[in-house]
Amino acid sequence: MATVAPTRPAEASGQPAGPRTRVRRSGDGVAGYLFLSPWILGVLLLTIGPMLTSLYLSFTDYSLFTAPEWVGLDNYKRMFDDARWIKSVQVTAIYVAVAVPVKLAAALAVALLLNNKRKGQSFYRAAFYGPSLIGASVSLAIVWKALFTDDAVVDRILRTVGINTGGWAGNPDFSLLMLVLLGAWQLGAPMVIFLAGLKQVPVELHEAAHVDGAGRWRRFRSITLPMISPVVFFNLLLETINAFQVFTSAYIVGGPNGSPAGTTLFYTIYLYDRGFSDFRMGYASAMAWMLLLGVGLITLFLFRTARGWVYYSGDKR
Amino acid sequence: MSAETARAGRRKATKARRVSTVVWHAGIIAVLAIVLYPIVWVVAATFKPSSDIIGSLSLFPTEPTTHNYERAVEGIADISIGRFFWNSTVLAVLSVVGTVASSALAGYAFARLRFRGRGAMFALMISTLLLPFHVLIIPQYAVFQKLDLIDTYVPLLLGKFLATEAFFVFLMVQFMRTIPHELDESAKIDGAGPWGIFWHIILPLARPAIITTAIFTFIWSWNDFFGPLIYLSTPDKYPLPLALQLFVDEASGSDFGALMAMSMLALVPVVLFFLFFQRFLVEGVSTSGLKG
Amino acid sequence: MGVMKRFTTVLAAASLLFAAAACGGDDEAESGPVTLRYSWWGNADRAALVQKAIDLFQTKNANIKVTPSFQEFEAYWQKMATDTAGGNAPDVLQMDFAYLREYAERGVLYDLKKQEGKNLTTSDLLEGLKGAGEVDDGLYAVPVAGNTWGYVYSPAAYAKASVPEPKLGWTWNDYRAAMEKITKSGGGKIYGGGNYIGTYYNLEAQLRQEGGLLYTEDGKLGFDKPRLAKFFNEGKQLIDAKIVLPVEKGVQIKPKFALELDLIAGDLGWDNFMARYAAATKTELKLGPLPSDNPSQLGQYLKPSMLMSVSAKSDHPEESAKLIDFFINDPEAGAILGANRGIPATNAQRAAVKLEGPFAAVAAYEESIKGQLEKAPPAPPKGAGTIEQAFIRVSEELQYGRISVDQAVDQFFTEANETLES
Repeated sequence: MATVAPTRPAEASGQPAGPRTRVRRSGDGVAGYLFLSPWILGVLLLTIGPMLTSLYLSFTDYSLFTAPEWVGLDNYKRMFDDARWIKSVQVTAIYVAVAVPVKLAAALAVALLLNNKRKGQSFYRAAFYGPSLIGASVSLAIVWKALFTDDAVVDRILRTVGINTGGWAGNPDFSLLMLVLLGAWQLGAPMVIFLAGLKQVPVELHEAAHVDGAGRWRRFRSITLPMISPVVFFNLLLETINAFQVFTSAYIVGGPNGSPAGTTLFYTIYLYDRGFSDFRMGYASAMAWMLLLGVGLITLFLFRTARGWVYYSGDKR
Repeated sequence: MSAETARAGRRKATKARRVSTVVWHAGIIAVLAIVLYPIVWVVAATFKPSSDIIGSLSLFPTEPTTHNYERAVEGIADISIGRFFWNSTVLAVLSVVGTVASSALAGYAFARLRFRGRGAMFALMISTLLLPFHVLIIPQYAVFQKLDLIDTYVPLLLGKFLATEAFFVFLMVQFMRTIPHELDESAKIDGAGPWGIFWHIILPLARPAIITTAIFTFIWSWNDFFGPLIYLSTPDKYPLPLALQLFVDEASGSDFGALMAMSMLALVPVVLFFLFFQRFLVEGVSTSGLKG
Repeated sequence: MGVMKRFTTVLAAASLLFAAAACGGDDEAESGPVTLRYSWWGNADRAALVQKAIDLFQTKNANIKVTPSFQEFEAYWQKMATDTAGGNAPDVLQMDFAYLREYAERGVLYDLKKQEGKNLTTSDLLEGLKGAGEVDDGLYAVPVAGNTWGYVYSPAAYAKASVPEPKLGWTWNDYRAAMEKITKSGGGKIYGGGNYIGTYYNLEAQLRQEGGLLYTEDGKLGFDKPRLAKFFNEGKQLIDAKIVLPVEKGVQIKPKFALELDLIAGDLGWDNFMARYAAATKTELKLGPLPSDNPSQLGQYLKPSMLMSVSAKSDHPEESAKLIDFFINDPEAGAILGANRGIPATNAQRAAVKLEGPFAAVAAYEESIKGQLEKAPPAPPKGAGTIEQAFIRVSEELQYGRISVDQAVDQFFTEANETLES
């Protein structure tokens, strides 16, 4: 967790200056591998093998019951002609682009609200975390959908302000929004991480700015935001990766077809449908690797641009 | 300023503060009411007769009943609900232990130790986050099938002990990187080797990351459905999510009431686990000795 | 640090205990009794009943032990696919008509013809179900229960709108007219029905009434684009005339059905779903005949609603066959299971089961159309499940008005042919 602390940049190395004897640095090798040995074993046994197998399968036609048949780049080529694949990419992309900022903004807002010494902190924090504990469950997905049907609570509230959309669960134009809200609702995890980051912001900085006459918003923009930027980055990265892999709640709400009218056809749902219901594991594997490629590129992009706005305090002053 | 004006000024300030406190609390409670509404709905639904759950629009049951809980507690086909709870608990506790231990070890290696290939392995670790598990499950299943470990808990737990949950390794790494190196150095000067630094310096300071890992691992393991589905065949080894599925059936009609009641009961340990550990979360950061 | 240390020690101790618990207790019975693994899908109620039947089987067959496994329908197939791919399929498995050919043609199932007459008796199956599990001259599954398509409706809703109840011989026009009248007098609270183009079983009914089939003998689609367009156009007209339940409504209430929530007066569907409806709504429901434009042909057949198969890799095909024999023929087993799996497939079990309530209605319904109930067509081709889903999906988009009838037809044929060819 990239919490902010008045420390040297993480890669600080170098021998301790001064009259002490120089410590040889190259001897970490054995220790390194020893500490890493469970991970290495896990990777060899459970990760690399299956990853490479799935890569191999993506070049085959594999129906699960008979041996895989090599087809080369066929699966990949077919994807771009596949209307449902294109749809699933669209749905997922829109979801990620909307849900992640909404969720992070909401989490930050709540963290800011709770970032003071008033009584009841612990209770409120736990309460806001509640949704994250129950959020992944089947029951909640069923209830969430029920709340977005005709005449249910959301519909009624919207109608009082004159918006008449009918139940979002059946309305292709709003169904995705319903899932975005479900995702954002589970803001417990990023909220807690934001809180931790906020608590690291030195109070002296705020006091000094206050004395200089800076208003709340100015202080937020120039002090808080930069100081918590490492935490923002961590949350941004992980929420983005998670958003690409949404499955359970979307499946409960929209089923394997992405009801209504394919508007909730997430990439992972289509992948699962192809692999397990249609017995096209080869195609599903190809889809998985395309996903890895896409998310990998986005992750790389995030890391690159991070240098522009993530500020590890202690770098300069 | 006279004493009186000072006192008056102080009184005004206290009053203003009290008003703003009340407003703040009221605001938070209002927001919470909206946020917790769906949860209240689920709880209320457990007291409604099953047929009323979808389609009935009122929050509170018109004919409250405890039938759903009775049904849930009955268990399934001679297997008591206690058994499912026990299975879930075994899996969750072992998952937490395994994940915390192996992620901390791996995290330390990536964060603090220098060795050849570290960068490449780190990139590899991050990339394992990106593949959907549905695709890995068949090859992984094949591995366990050859080892004749199907229908045991080993496939579900082995990965946890081998740091395959990259999310937590990454979390540990990020957290450990913010611990000042001066602490390491002074320990080294006192003669500590890598293990000593790990055990005495890094691990205690990484407590928030460890707590976070424990909480999330517990929740994920508790809710894990697909893994147990694929690897377990004997019903009395089923954890709760598999048992829960049995309340949903197309042809004979799903018993949503019992499903929700059982989900509620299943949530209790998760909530307790969270409540117990959550105070270490944020508090831990501010006492981690990072300031001065 | 003190807290942490204590915490760690306790956790370590606890985990050792748990680990012992987790790894313990998996002993194998060596030679002697044969152990069979039997997997089925269903809910908790069914699990209890099947377990009782298994206990009975074990008392009658002292040297056979049966290890059960069960999941909900969808989960069952996910697991079955994985288990089979890993070579770990159970000895006896419940099979669905739509997947039968898929599994049989991939060599995953055992040919029960080898056991027929020895450990397995199929002669007592209902006429309509005899041979229902055959695929290309092999017997890969045995039907355990049957169902057929029917029309479930609320007599009260019909009476309220002064529409005469459906009788044998009513046509598709009659059906549409009835729905219209009920909707118009329903005041928005109740509709005449759902849009029947949502599933291809209604298309199948119409095709059979015309003397055709949904899938031809050689596994192709039994209809062409114009025929499908005609079918879809009927549905479009229903939407334009606002006669049927709007599609948004149907989607919103999933997984519940509109009939369960009293939103429509009646719907076409599997007759054994009466049980589900009866549990869900207090409205009295009845089963009626399918509408048909051909008075001598209802287009209905007795479909195996559930079958049992043996895995090709089973080490004990003889005992497995015995288990299946027990489940389809033994009257005591029939009495235990009742109508839980559907209306039993053999005469012996039908006689043994005392059908009550909705099941009695189902049995009576099937009896009333007995003369017209035909034998099931051959098992649908590989990929039938996928094609069915494609139909549902395309139909939904059509009903939402997002694509035209022609686009829907093209889309369906593209997807269906692609699946059939692969």
